[in-house]
Amino acid sequence: MPASFVEDRRRQALEIYDREPLPTWRRSGFWTTSLRQLRLDELAPRHHESVSSREDLPAIVAAALGDDDLAAVIVQRGASTVFSWIDPAIADAGVTFCSLENAVERHPELVEPWYMRRLSHDEGKFAAATAAFWTGGAFLHVPAGVRVEQPIQIVYLIDEPGSAQYAHTLAVVGEQADCRLREYCLAPDFAGQALHAGALEVYLEAGAQLKLASFQDWGGGEVYDISIKRVEVGRDAHCTWVPIHLGGHLTKQRLDIITAARGADMRHAGIYFTEGSEHLDLFTTDLHEQGDTTGDTVWKGALSGESRASYEGLIQIARDAQNSHTYLQTHSMLLSAKAKADAIPSLIVETDNVSASHGGTVGEIDEAQVFYMMTRGISRQDAIRILVEGYFEPVVQRIGDESLAQLVRARLAAKLAAAEPEVARYAAQR
Amino acid sequence: MSLEIENLHVRTGDREILRGVNLAIAKGETHALMGPNGSGKSTLANTIMGNPSYEVTDGRILFNGEDISAADPDERARAGVFMAFQYPAVIPGVSVANFLRTAVNARREEPIKVKDFGAMLKTHMDLLRIDRSFTKRYLNEGFSGGEKKRAEILQLAMLAPEIAILDETDSGLDIDALRIVADGVDALRGPAMGTLIITHYTRILKYIRPDFVHIMLDGRIVREGGAELADELEEKGYEFIRGEVAVADAG
Repeated sequence: MPASFVEDRRRQALEIYDREPLPTWRRSGFWTTSLRQLRLDELAPRHHESVSSREDLPAIVAAALGDDDLAAVIVQRGASTVFSWIDPAIADAGVTFCSLENAVERHPELVEPWYMRRLSHDEGKFAAATAAFWTGGAFLHVPAGVRVEQPIQIVYLIDEPGSAQYAHTLAVVGEQADCRLREYCLAPDFAGQALHAGALEVYLEAGAQLKLASFQDWGGGEVYDISIKRVEVGRDAHCTWVPIHLGGHLTKQRLDIITAARGADMRHAGIYFTEGSEHLDLFTTDLHEQGDTTGDTVWKGALSGESRASYEGLIQIARDAQNSHTYLQTHSMLLSAKAKADAIPSLIVETDNVSASHGGTVGEIDEAQVFYMMTRGISRQDAIRILVEGYFEPVVQRIGDESLAQLVRARLAAKLAAAEPEVARYAAQR
Repeated sequence: MSLEIENLHVRTGDREILRGVNLAIAKGETHALMGPNGSGKSTLANTIMGNPSYEVTDGRILFNGEDISAADPDERARAGVFMAFQYPAVIPGVSVANFLRTAVNARREEPIKVKDFGAMLKTHMDLLRIDRSFTKRYLNEGFSGGEKKRAEILQLAMLAPEIAILDETDSGLDIDALRIVADGVDALRGPAMGTLIITHYTRILKYIRPDFVHIMLDGRIVREGGAELADELEEKGYEFIRGEVAVADAG
């Protein structure tokens, strides 16, 4: 019998989903994200068979995970949980890690206090869709005081056109617990549309420590990603969150990180590199609800081809959040003549005795830097590669996970190599 | 003759800055190029390196007999020309060590062995009294003026060019920093390297005695001599030189 706290929400969400039209997001005439071309009624959940071992996972997943020593792995392919494993020692320590569907059935007492605590099913058509239709999903609960060294891995895979994947990840890190969580969204290149509508909710209890990485590479096909990710950081807890966007036809995401109690601290560092005709629309918020909280947000992006990326970053300091200190910076580097970037840092500050500053740049490769490097014998091509790698490097280092950092560096290098002819043309024009 | 500049005319935008510069530097020689601000010294240095902001409208630049006037900056560098910048660019995310290794490897067939690179780096860091930790920092990011200049000379040391151009390497340095830089350059010069020290002031020339001194005014070299010319310039100033030139032009 499915738990009512989930089913009630599904029902309410379905009503909203049915009545809401396909949204279009506009900002003051300069930016529009439109779903005009999404044929939502042609997409449906696709089910797949489970596999019994990590080696039997689809090649794209095996390649991303490599030989990494992991504490636990869940892989959702389309609408199905196809692989779920946890190191017995980690399970013995009290960690719960399984699909969210399983967790609702077998550990409802762990799930219910947290389920959609900070999410609403009434935040637009796709948030409602996720709440109404999610299957599989992932649930993590780390009990108080437990420390897990190796990364805990979630993978959402879409590998066939016509697929609608409604995903839901719920993670709770208990008091003074410490762990690393990676959520990968992967797709090979394929022709035809697919959709990932996801919800990620993460809760850090008092004194908890979490390194969270959200790695998205939906390939060069036509995958739409419309998701909400929300992290709540409790008293004296710390979260480092590194979202990485390296592929997706159209991505519209809201990423919120809430320092909800005194002493909460967060580091948010994001990377994106859009190519071809990709469209990326990100809205992040750094919300301080209580005083003595700290934050730091850095986003770095690069754009090639005719891609478009908009990054809007809001720092919001609530009335009770005196003595909070936070900072936001966003940078975009245009590598081709037709790419368009929008960077909008903003602030809403409702109290005093705080420090909050922000800045944003949109720029191109600096010819003075290129010339300097060439005078050292470095070719123009190598100079640009090194400059772009150097541009991303400080954020890549924040990932704090060498294996994922290598994966990211390799993908960035590949994208830059693919963009080389247009980078050369663009420089020649200027 | 390593570097020959023949009747060089250079323009930026619609302004002619160099109006027929002639200069020759051989390996083993130390030349000083002096002149007031705006005389064209930095333009000359940048043009020798192939800065695309400057257009050569007449004349040519020869390196070991070969015309490099149309060569790309990296080709000129790999051939053996080096410039220590007056305002070095910041290269974020790239450590000093990584940058140096990339530059060293750019002119080698096989990449340099890690051990060899380490030994070479240590030798030159000791020469310039640079701390270990320096090499992990991102190149020129947050560097003081003195640190930037020392980083330039470290690159000079590691790349061992045939012709080294120092563009106002002494500017913005206090006496101690100047001493270290000058001692470093002094230790590096020798029969295999020709040096062109571009400077506004005579200070650095007290530590590095030049073989030849050239004085530039309004885009031309107007006087040439030995090291004593620098002493004369210090004593009399640029205005005096300008006066002499005016008389000579009139007569």
